[in-house]
Formats: sequence, C-alpha cells, structure tokens
Amino acid sequence: MSISRRRFMQGSVAGAAGLLTGAVPAFSANVDWRRYAGTKLEANLIKSPRGELLQKYAKEFFDLTGIEVASEVIPEQQQRQKAVIELGSGKPNFDIVHLSYHVQKRQFDKAGWLADISGFMKDPTLTDASLTESDFSKVGLDYAKNQAGELRSLPWSVDYFIVYWNKELFAKKGLSFPTSFDELASHAEALTDAKAGIYGIVGRGLKNANVALYGHLLLGYDVEALDKSGRLTTDTPEGIAAATYYQRLLTKSAPPGVAGFNWAECQSAFVQGRAAMWIDGVGFAPPLEDPEKSRVVGKVGYSVMPKGPKAQGSATYGDGIGIAATSKNKEAAYLYCQWAVSKLMGARLLQTGGGVPFRNSILNDAEVRKGVKMPGDWVDAVSGSGKVGRPGLPVIIPVAEFRDIIGIALTNTLSGADPAAEMKKATEQFKPILEKSEKA
Amino acid sequence: MTIDLHAEFGSAAGRPALPKERSHKRLRSRRFWPFLVPALIVLTAITVVPWAFTLWMSVREFTVGGTNEFVGLANYARLLVDARFSEAIWHTLFYTFLSVLLPLIFGTLAALVLHREFPLRGLVRGIFVLPMMATPVAIALVWTMMFHPQLGVLNYLLSLVGIEPQGWVFHPATVIPSLILVETWQWTPLVALIVLGGLAVIPREPYESAEIDGAGAWMKFRYITWPMILPFLMIAVIIRMIDALKSFDIIYAITQGGPGTASETINIYLYSVAFSYYNIGYGSAIAVVFFVLVVAISLAMLVLRQKLHWNEMAGAP
Amino acid sequence: MIVAGGGSLLVRRLTLLLSVLAIVSPAILFFLWMLSLSLKYEIDNAAYPPVFFPDRIAWKNYASVFESNGFLSIFWNSVIVTGSATLIALLVGVPAGYAIARMKATKMAAVVLIARMTPGLSYLIPLFLLFQWLGLLGTLAPQIIAHLVLTVPIVIWIMIGYFETTPMDLEEAAAIDGASSWQVFRHVALPIAKPGITVALILAVIFSWNNFVFGIVLAGRQTRTLPVAVYNMISFEQLSWGPLAAAALIVTFPVLVLTVFAQRQIVAGLTAGAVKDG
Repeated sequence: MSISRRRFMQGSVAGAAGLLTGAVPAFSANVDWRRYAGTKLEANLIKSPRGELLQKYAKEFFDLTGIEVASEVIPEQQQRQKAVIELGSGKPNFDIVHLSYHVQKRQFDKAGWLADISGFMKDPTLTDASLTESDFSKVGLDYAKNQAGELRSLPWSVDYFIVYWNKELFAKKGLSFPTSFDELASHAEALTDAKAGIYGIVGRGLKNANVALYGHLLLGYDVEALDKSGRLTTDTPEGIAAATYYQRLLTKSAPPGVAGFNWAECQSAFVQGRAAMWIDGVGFAPPLEDPEKSRVVGKVGYSVMPKGPKAQGSATYGDGIGIAATSKNKEAAYLYCQWAVSKLMGARLLQTGGGVPFRNSILNDAEVRKGVKMPGDWVDAVSGSGKVGRPGLPVIIPVAEFRDIIGIALTNTLSGADPAAEMKKATEQFKPILEKSEKA
Repeated sequence: MTIDLHAEFGSAAGRPALPKERSHKRLRSRRFWPFLVPALIVLTAITVVPWAFTLWMSVREFTVGGTNEFVGLANYARLLVDARFSEAIWHTLFYTFLSVLLPLIFGTLAALVLHREFPLRGLVRGIFVLPMMATPVAIALVWTMMFHPQLGVLNYLLSLVGIEPQGWVFHPATVIPSLILVETWQWTPLVALIVLGGLAVIPREPYESAEIDGAGAWMKFRYITWPMILPFLMIAVIIRMIDALKSFDIIYAITQGGPGTASETINIYLYSVAFSYYNIGYGSAIAVVFFVLVVAISLAMLVLRQKLHWNEMAGAP
Repeated sequence: MIVAGGGSLLVRRLTLLLSVLAIVSPAILFFLWMLSLSLKYEIDNAAYPPVFFPDRIAWKNYASVFESNGFLSIFWNSVIVTGSATLIALLVGVPAGYAIARMKATKMAAVVLIARMTPGLSYLIPLFLLFQWLGLLGTLAPQIIAHLVLTVPIVIWIMIGYFETTPMDLEEAAAIDGASSWQVFRHVALPIAKPGITVALILAVIFSWNNFVFGIVLAGRQTRTLPVAVYNMISFEQLSWGPLAAAALIVTFPVLVLTVFAQRQIVAGLTAGAVKDG
C-alpha cells in the first residue's frame, strides 16, 4: 500500500468523525496502521452496545488497517462461559476477547490467559500518542493491570449504577428527588399505588443479578464486599444493614414478582411508566428515550445515587478488551483493541448512551459531550457517579459463586426471610470457597 | 422414542427360553449381528467415551484455568453435605412427578376425545401435536413474556375473570408449578398419541357384548378401555419420566433455576457448577449421581410395569 | 363408543365439539399470541392491558431477523446438522432396529435405552475436549456427532417397534429360497417398514432441529444453529420481544409445517409402533 492511500484512508475516517462530533482527531500518522494488512483475526464479543458498536463500524477498521476481523457477539452469560472454557482449554478459537472485569478480572489474571500488552503501549509505532496509561481512570487501570503491574487488557467501558426516575410520577405526588437512602425508601413507598399498578421502585431481585444492586447499596454504608484485608463484609453490621435496606426497597414498594426480575423485567416496567424509580447501570438508558420502546420519553430523570447513612457511592463495573496469550497475531489484535478504545469509537459509545469510556480525554472533551444524544441529566449523572465510583463486586476468582450464594440469600429476604440470618448463613457458606480459590 | 420399551421388557423378557428355542436364537443372532455392529460402534463412541471421561474427572479437583489433581471421592463426599444439591433433588422429583402426572391425565382425556370420529379430525390432531414439535427454547421465551407479572397476557386473562395477578415464574412459591404448566402444555400431546395407539387396537367385540349386557359408559371404560390402555399409559409414564428428569431447555430459558434456587433442578445445578463455576470435577460427580438416579428410577418403573403386565396376564381367563 | 354417554344426539354432538375445542385451544391460543407478539412494536408488546390487534404491524421484526448477520448461514447450519445427524442415524439405526427385533435382544435394547437416559449435559465437556483435541471445533462435525446421541436411539427404538409388527412369514420364505440376510433385509423387510422409517425420520429431524444444549458449548461463530441463535437474541440492554417472537416463530416454523403436513404419518407411526403390545 502506498503512503498516499494510507493518508487518504485516515483522512476519510477523520472526516466521518468530524461529521459526528465536530472535532475528534484522526488516527495518528506515526502509527503504521497498515503494517498488518491482510491479517485475519477472530474477536469474541459480548452482545451489548459496546460489542455491537465494534461490529457496526468493522468496515472502518478494515479500511484503516486492512486487517479482517471476524467478530461474533453473544449474550453476556454465554460469552463469559464460552470464553473461559475456550481459554481454559489452551486453544481458544479467538484472538481478541471482550471481558467483564467485575466478574473475570482475577480469574483471567491468575490463569494468565491474556497477553501482556505493556510493551505495545510503549511502542510509538504501534500506539497512538494520545493513548497513555494516565488517560484511563484509576478504576479502569486497576482492572486492567495484574498484580505484577503488567497491562493485560485495555479498559474499554465503565458502567455506573444510577437512579432512573419518572419525573411525571414524582410531580403527581409533589415529590422531588430523594437526598438520602431513607428518603429514597419513603418516597418509593409514597409513590406506590398497587391498585393502579404503579410501584415506587423496581430493581434486580433475580439471584446472581441482584448482587450488582446489593454491592451498590453497600457503598452507602461505606464498605465494599471485600474489605482491605480481604475479609467478607456481607455479614458485618453494614452488610446486614444493606441487605435490610435492599429488602425494604424491594418488598414494600416494588411490584410483585420482583424476586424474578433481572434488568430486562425492570426496564419493561419502567418504560411502561409503572415504576417511579429504577436503580441500575447507566448503559440501559437509550431504550428509555426511544419512542418505539418507551412510554416515558422525555420524562425520565437521571441522578446519582443519593448519599447513604455513611457515604455516597456508585457501584462501578467495567468492560475491557484483551488479546489471548495464544494468539499468533498479537500486534494486529492490539491495533484492533486500540481502535476499540480510541477516541473516535469512545465518543460514539458515549454519544449513543451505550457506555462510558474509561478515558478521561474522551469524557471531558467538550466537543464530544455536545454530540451526546442522551439528555443532559444523563451526562451529569455519569460524571457525578464517576466521582463516587467504587467497585461493586469483589475482585476474586469465584465471582459467579459469590453472586449466586449471596444472591440467593437476598432473594430469600424478598419472601420474608430475616436478612441477618440469611447473610450470615450465605457468608459462612461462601467463606470456604473463597479460601480455597485464594490458595489454589 | 416413544413406543418400544415395553416390547423388550414386556414381551421378550421374563419368559424363560426353552433349550431348543435358545439354540435357535443363537443361530439367528449370528445372522443379525452385522446389522447391529455399525450402530453399536456409533453408540459406544458417543456414549462410552464421554462416560469414561466423566468418571475420571469426577475423582479429580478440576477447575478450568485452575487445579487438576486426584482427590479420590472428595467430590462425592461434598455432595452429601451440599444443601443446594439435596434441595435440587427434591425440586427434580417434584417437578418430575407433576410433569408426568398432569400430561398423563390430560393426555388420556384428549386421546379419548380424539379417538372418536368427527369432521376435520386429521387437522385437529395435527394442531394438537404442534406444542410437542415446537422448539422448546423458542417456546420458553414466549412463555416468559406471557408470565410477566405486570405486563404478561396471563395475568390479564386472570383479571378478566376476577382472579388477582399471580407471580408465576417470578415468585418462589409458584415457579415450579408454572414451569410444570409449560411442560404439561408441551408434552400432553405425546401421552395422547401413545394412548391413541392403545385405543386403536381395542377390538369392538367386548364393547358390543357389554352393551348387550346393558353396561353404562363408565362400566365400559372401567372394565374394558382402562385395562387395555394401561400398558400404554405405563410406556407414557416411563418416557415422560426420563424426559422430565432431564428437563433443561425450558427451565434454563425461563428461570435458570430462580428465583433464588426455587426451581433449580439437578440438571440446572449441574450446569451452574460446570459452566458458571467452572468446577468440572464436582460437576462430573453430580452428573454421575444424577445418571444413577435417572437409571434407578427408570428401572424401577420398568420393573413395576412388568409386574403389572404379569398380573394382568395372570388375571386373564 | 368409548366414553359415549346418554342424552340426545344434539347434546352429544355439542359435548364433542366443546371437548375438541378445549383440546386444541391451548395450542391455538399460544401460537396466535406468539404470532401477535412477533407482529407488534415493542411499545405495544409491553403494553398493559395487552394489545391483541395492533394499529400498525411491525413487519420489521421479521426483516430484522432475516437481515441480522448470518441468518441464512445459521439456517443452513441447522439444515446440515439435522440432515446429517438424521441420515447417519437412519443408516445405522434401521438395520440395528431390525437386528434387535429379530434377535429379540432385550439387553441390547436396554443399552440403547441408557444412552437415552443420560443427561445431555454430561456429554458436553468430554465431547468439547475431545473435539478440540481432534481439531474439529470450528466445523459442524462436533454438533453432528453430538446430535447422534439424540437421533440414533430414536431411530433404533422406532424401528424395533416397527419390525416387531411386520410379519416374518415372507422373510422366512425368502430365507428358505436361499436369499442372504442382507437380501432379505433389503428386499423384504425394508420395503414393508417404510412407514416406520418415515416416522423415525420425522422424529429424528424434530429432535435434532430443536436441540439447544449441544449448541451452547459446541457451536462457534460460524457453526451456530437456529435454537442457539434465537436464544442469543435476548440482547443485553435492549428490549426486543417482537424480534424475539419473530425469531422464535421462524425457528419453529419448519417443524410446524412438517407436523401439519405429516401429521397423518406421525400419528399413525407413533400409535402403530405401540400396537404390537396391545
């Protein structure tokens, strides 16, 4: 390929970006993007706005690099299982993998399944000058680095738990957005009108999924599921208080059947105007503003979680993108990962409301923000949550078991079980599993 | 898959062969062996090999990306104290019991109706069997939407007749019955088809002579139809039971075992252990125990059936 | 007849009509609702009270399924997997069923039965590792082979039942005339068993087509079959009941058509197989 052709391609990509946002820089010319032209890669992505965005603009990456990427998007749960089984077998069928830090980080680190890309980051012929470690938020960088400090993936998109609220329902009762945990619960109770089928709040009650919400509530008591010394906090007074609060929210003012709700059922109830509040990840916002899917377009408030009894916090979960250690085309795969977290793709992610880039240079760019299609409240909730963001799940190997065991206890509280007894029992049950996994 | 268990275990088994018959049989066997060999090779390859592997893994501490070492019977010992496992056994048995019983009742009733002559009977039978032919995962997803406590069509239908909304699969107390509803909806036709087969072979004479004797409808059913279709019902029970014990698609697609663990059957728990916790060793131990359970229950039913069969024979004039 | 009660002819007719309606309504109502879901926009699908007849029809649900990447190739994968698994099952299963029926090989039948009792899940990990070791992952072969677990026992069982009902006089006569076992099978037994083979074929196709478990783990990007693809349509962060119902209907459609057209054979076959024991 001649240089002029390459320049031309870069120019056209920059042009497209310009149309979208006004002033997103092109892909830097000091990186030889076409060095691996003709390479074929396989990418294993999660079915999510992140994964789908990469698929949608796959042609742009091909035009830029000449690298052919065959990608597949599979729903989260199956993707996680499949990725782990394939990596564990030692011969994964993919080069690039989309990982969920909050579930898989420790497992991937310990098993050493992903390639160390620290070296690539330092190579100016391979890495755009604007991509530096310091550009990533701290949570993101912590997620991406292993204990030895090697970068094993690129932090891609962060997810904060926020409160979605129906302004119309609030106005009807003359209420304003709550400022504390207590007020949130009492508002929810005031907003509930079971006869009319309107409930004050909706949130995940389904086992496993509900631990993401519980982890979020825990932060209001100023603890994370695992304290600094690696002890579980789920049976401490704070852990039990959070479970009791969880029980109060989802029994007194949530729709019947909430024990079986995952995000999808919550979303259905919320877009139909049948729930006044919904606590969940920021990435669920776009359908709420889509008239084909929502009856609450323009009526949704987006807010940072109010302060809890001890602290204000927002559970932070994240996606990364990494390269299988067994890949034969690591450099080419690295170009793809870099493109995925690039300013252009990150801006698109933010602007469509599909996720929030870990890179400050994207998040704080005024031009990028201008192009955001979501309401201003949403952007404010995102940046506000970022300031109080903490991990919502413990960084351990058996996350799935943690979520199942604690999640079952939480679901039990919804049918009236005592939170203290349930949390103590579940914590006891999980302890040996955690100890075993740390020893291995 | 439907028909044939009783053939082997009913007619051929149990009767001691006479010496002459036996040598005759051996002779015949040699002639037919070549027909059997390809199938045996295929079956061995696809079942025995995985089984040997499962047994081997079940005595190891084997996690994906983690350890792989021999631990003897530790996995089996763990099963004994695993509350979630024993709970799953009860769920499985409860689920299986009703998933056999309800289709059996409705299927028999449906067969009695479908056996009669009426216009468009072929079309009706065709529509009737659709549920058992449809793709379970696809069906399950539609049921999930119908079960939604606020937005689902089922609660709407209940509200029309003044019944208050139910939690269906979203409430621990109703989740298994709701899943059984789906299972019953899907598998009633299978039972009906088997019973129809039984009805088809009942000769007319007993009915005619019963009518001459002045027997009513119930008497005719009780003393002619029922004994004749009983063997067929037993086949239906055995087939339905094996399938219900192993049921996976419907539960996985609708609840994944939830809420909590309220609908977690052995098969679903096995899936979690192996594919969410990546604990292949323990998962294999569960698979082995599960298999033993399925075989034990099935054999018990077969034996029961054979006994019944012989009692009938003995009772016959 | 069997449950005929007293009363006038009219009452009896009416009772029969109502019973027939009661029997088919669960199936009819369900599939109509499924159709309705697939033709509505999300906002109508999640509406309460439910919208039965929408103002506007969302044909785009179907369009989006057909346009979604690789739908045709996924469909083709399903055809190949089901076709091969059924064909192989017939090739090995029909002669095996014949042999077992003629040998009255009770124990052999029990072995086949055990293959059916095994939980499908327990095959998954060993087969996955085995296929990886053989380097077959990424092709359709693993799924075809795994589906044999379903199809071979079905075919064998149906055929045992069938061959037991076919009269042996002709076969014995042919054997006395000097025909080889193969010739007897090929020219005497097989032609008579054609209806049984049809049933075995239809059921094998249906069970294989509907299988979901094997696909979750054994299928890759290019080897996915329809049930797995439909399940994958439950997308994260987006409501999509309409497209989901459309996809579910599309997957089930071939099977439903097969059932309606071949219902006579299926019903006859399933029942005839059971006849012999009566």
